[in-house]
Amino acid sequence: MNHRHTFLAVMVFMVTAMTDAAFGETLYVSAKSAQLRSGKTSLDPVVASLKTGDALEVVKRDDRWVQVKTAKGVTGWIYSGNVSESKPAGGDNELAALGKGFRRTEASGVTASAGARGLDKASESYANRAGITQQHRDAVDRMTANKIAEDDIQAFLKAGRLGEYAE
Amino acid sequence: MLNRSSRGLFAVGLVLLATAGLTGCAEIQKAAEGAARGSGNERLAKTIHGSGTLIGGLLPIGYEEEQTIGQAIALQVVARYGGVYDQPDLTRYVNLVGRSVALTCDRADIDYRFAILNHDSINAFAAPAGYIFVTRGLLKTVKNEAELAAVLGHEIGHVTKKHILDVIQRSKQIAGVAETGLAYANKNPDAFKNVIDGAVKKLLDEGLDQGKELESDRLGVIFASRVGYDPTAYETFLDRLRTLKGDDRAFFKTHPDFSNRLSAVRSTISEQKLKATGILLADRFSRSSNEAL
Repeated sequence: MNHRHTFLAVMVFMVTAMTDAAFGETLYVSAKSAQLRSGKTSLDPVVASLKTGDALEVVKRDDRWVQVKTAKGVTGWIYSGNVSESKPAGGDNELAALGKGFRRTEASGVTASAGARGLDKASESYANRAGITQQHRDAVDRMTANKIAEDDIQAFLKAGRLGEYAE
Repeated sequence: MLNRSSRGLFAVGLVLLATAGLTGCAEIQKAAEGAARGSGNERLAKTIHGSGTLIGGLLPIGYEEEQTIGQAIALQVVARYGGVYDQPDLTRYVNLVGRSVALTCDRADIDYRFAILNHDSINAFAAPAGYIFVTRGLLKTVKNEAELAAVLGHEIGHVTKKHILDVIQRSKQIAGVAETGLAYANKNPDAFKNVIDGAVKKLLDEGLDQGKELESDRLGVIFASRVGYDPTAYETFLDRLRTLKGDDRAFFKTHPDFSNRLSAVRSTISEQKLKATGILLADRFSRSSNEAL
């Protein structure tokens, strides 16, 4: 069994080495999408559209806004609620993807369909075994499929003077 | 002990497995297994195969599997709490508040969905992969949008910190189960049911560790504040709950006492320098909820 222990030690080292390290004043876009603007209000023109995980170099901070420079060299202001100091791990960070990769060896041909209409095969099977009614299955199915457009969320924030629309 | 050629082949296997890990590609693990088998070393092939299963069990649960687990737990939450309250406008409003808060949480790139449970008790639950529930009773207790935002922020905190997945991961390790999620569920549906039922029992009956609840209280107030809601609204809400739940033993079985929660929230507001913005949006909350509740 020694080689199994050696293997585990190598994997632990590898996983440690994969951990991201942030250097200097770097922020990451934490919102699904965010606008970089020429000034510190939501009324200022958009100079770049950003997405989750984009790295930004901090130029200066001013209350709830941060002046940053993108990887492409564009400088502008972003609402501080849209950035975080750590890179978003997201749906699957490297470590979880690694675990999935290995588990997948045992799971050939198995796919999940969460996000589409219809319950996952495994959830459906669970529902059968647990005696979940069709009405409750439909409720979770509708909940899974429920989407709200980004524009609607932005309009909601704007109407409430929230987020970057705060006065 | 391995002989020299086996050791060499094992080293090659390790390199291949390391590459497999970095690329997330299990095919390379298969290749290493095949190479060992091809050289006539069945024992080494089995070791490489077994290592994959073992590592898969110890590493965190991936998002695809998290969705399966979350959906199965959500089914049970809906079944146990009287089904979903069928009020499309109110449900959309709760989703708008929740998704606004989720936009600025520390795990903003997954889908969060919110539903109202048709139940009079005052409670809220979060299942993995962003399945979040509030009861009709809780909505009746909330007085403004800032309070709701912090409550939903608390539940989003459970998802960002993967609290339920942590419980499943630990129970799996204790039970010596190497797999879960898709492969596990399809090959061992009864065992998968046990995993889900165990998680549901923890979520609905026993409650999460107090440390996890307090961590989510802190996160809830931080996430809501990032959007611009007044963080002190959560203090007011918890204080109201303390009055309402003063002698409710069932509630305290699943939650830390209110003095600890209030103290966690107050220290977070002070340490994080969260601004009292005065944004409560009581009118918008009343307009959206009054007729529907």
